Amino acid sequence: MILLVAATLVALQAPAQGIDPRLERLDSITRPIVAALVDSARAAALPTEPLVQRALEGATKRAPADRIVAAVRRLALDLGHARDALGPTASPTELGAAAAALRAGAHPATLTELRRIRRESLTVPLAVLTDLVGSGVPVDSAAAAVLSLAAKTRDADLVEFRRAVERDIALGAPPASATAAAAAVTAEATAVQVNAGARQQRPGRP
Amino acid sequence: MGARAPAAQTTGTIDVGVSSVRYDGFLPSGAASVSPALRWERPAGILTARGTYLRFESGHRSLQSLLAGSFLIRPAAHRWRGELSGSLGASRYLDFASFWHATADARLLMLGADRGVWIGGTAGRTSYGRAARPVTAVGIGAWMQRSQVMVGGSATRSFVGDTAYNDVVSTAHTRRGPLALDGSLGARFASRGGGRGVFGEASATLAVGERTVLFVAAGRYPTDPVSGSVAGRYVSGGVRLRLASPARLSARTTIPSASRPGTPADGDPVADLRLEVLPRPNGVVRLVLYVASTSAAGVELAGDFTDWQPLQLRRSANGMWETVLAIPSGVHRLNVRIDGGAWIVPAGLTRAADDFGDEVGIMTVP
Repeated sequence: MILLVAATLVALQAPAQGIDPRLERLDSITRPIVAALVDSARAAALPTEPLVQRALEGATKRAPADRIVAAVRRLALDLGHARDALGPTASPTELGAAAAALRAGAHPATLTELRRIRRESLTVPLAVLTDLVGSGVPVDSAAAAVLSLAAKTRDADLVEFRRAVERDIALGAPPASATAAAAAVTAEATAVQVNAGARQQRPGRP
Repeated sequence: MGARAPAAQTTGTIDVGVSSVRYDGFLPSGAASVSPALRWERPAGILTARGTYLRFESGHRSLQSLLAGSFLIRPAAHRWRGELSGSLGASRYLDFASFWHATADARLLMLGADRGVWIGGTAGRTSYGRAARPVTAVGIGAWMQRSQVMVGGSATRSFVGDTAYNDVVSTAHTRRGPLALDGSLGARFASRGGGRGVFGEASATLAVGERTVLFVAAGRYPTDPVSGSVAGRYVSGGVRLRLASPARLSARTTIPSASRPGTPADGDPVADLRLEVLPRPNGVVRLVLYVASTSAAGVELAGDFTDWQPLQLRRSANGMWETVLAIPSGVHRLNVRIDGGAWIVPAGLTRAADDFGDEVGIMTVP
């Protein structure tokens, strides 16, 4: 974060070089400030595309200049916090997903733990975490469920887990209970080759 | 946590296929098959009912049915599981060959992070048009997951009346997107009346929609003295139809949101507005927006994958608007609007505050 602030100060002192042409859609007051924030993020080795997109989103929604600048600045800070939590090897898509998870209320320690236990990309687990919270699952319950699955569950199974939670919530289960139950089922299915007599029939055997 | 078990899920499928099959001791024959199946699942158990109707080139028919269930027991020691299962089946070929069987299995499983082992036994009865014979079997197995591949192996010793045999079988399963591959290779040996030799099968399934799966399969399987199936070689192809659509990938909210009222459409313009996100192979995503209002003249979408430039959707049917875009894997933000109105979040997406006093839809592309 200190690095980001310092980089912002440096960037504001010098005119931005090579302003992204897409930022031409911003008004003349907003554009240089956003460009400076983008430059500072670049200097801090943070992904800049999410910042550009956030500014363009504000422009498309005809948001006031101060709101656009605040949104971009806040996202830059979130991306910095996300990288602090995930480490310098995090990919831009992971950082974007992690920033969204942090904004949804996830604790940075949860992100750090996810990085520690999962070798594959964290993008889908983080998206699932954000989705669960968005669906009304308490942050702690959502984090516990995702952490319990992340080490050995493939992206496709995490997506299926998210579907199961959604389905059970739609059927009336409390979000936290639905999450815990679906996590148990997913973990069981991942870890156990069971149901000797009831497996899906192999297709085509006459 | 106020635990409440999630509701059971019921899945219905029907397989329709054609096969070329050569049972040991018989001439090759073509066959057409229809196999309906019903699967009822809860977290601790599964119940499956399925049947197969086979009609051979000769006009002869075969009927098979099976009811099987499995129930997991979770003792205090968290690395251990118990599994009790049962199988009840019957088959009939022409008027002279009819089988039935009833067996119960018990397994003890020890779990690791991505592997496990089991040991178990089977007991029951089987009949081939005469007095029932006892069935007993013991077995041991293991499985392991490595990246996208699950491999397993088992060894069993079975006794059916005065028939006895040993089977060792290895299996592998992998899934990449809509494609799933399964294979098995085994051998039967030290057999008395159960046949012997090497057997193996391979199958591939390709999901071509939410409800449709194409499959091909081929191989050789051994005689099963319990269920009464005769050893044979086969090649099959067909389609598996799912009778109930699975949950949609990104269905989230049931009520669309709009923080600014006053779009030009008549009535409530955002009622009954739903977006479906349908990832396709090779990185493209089909976005389908269902708009209840048939008076909408134009529907636009904007997101971080369009640089937030409004993109006009194509009307593909009455009330249905869609587009197909290359959208990279990850988490994306988008909104839609009708007839130039307010940017809104349709049902089907997770909603989040957008930093600008409104809401934005969140979409995850795996």
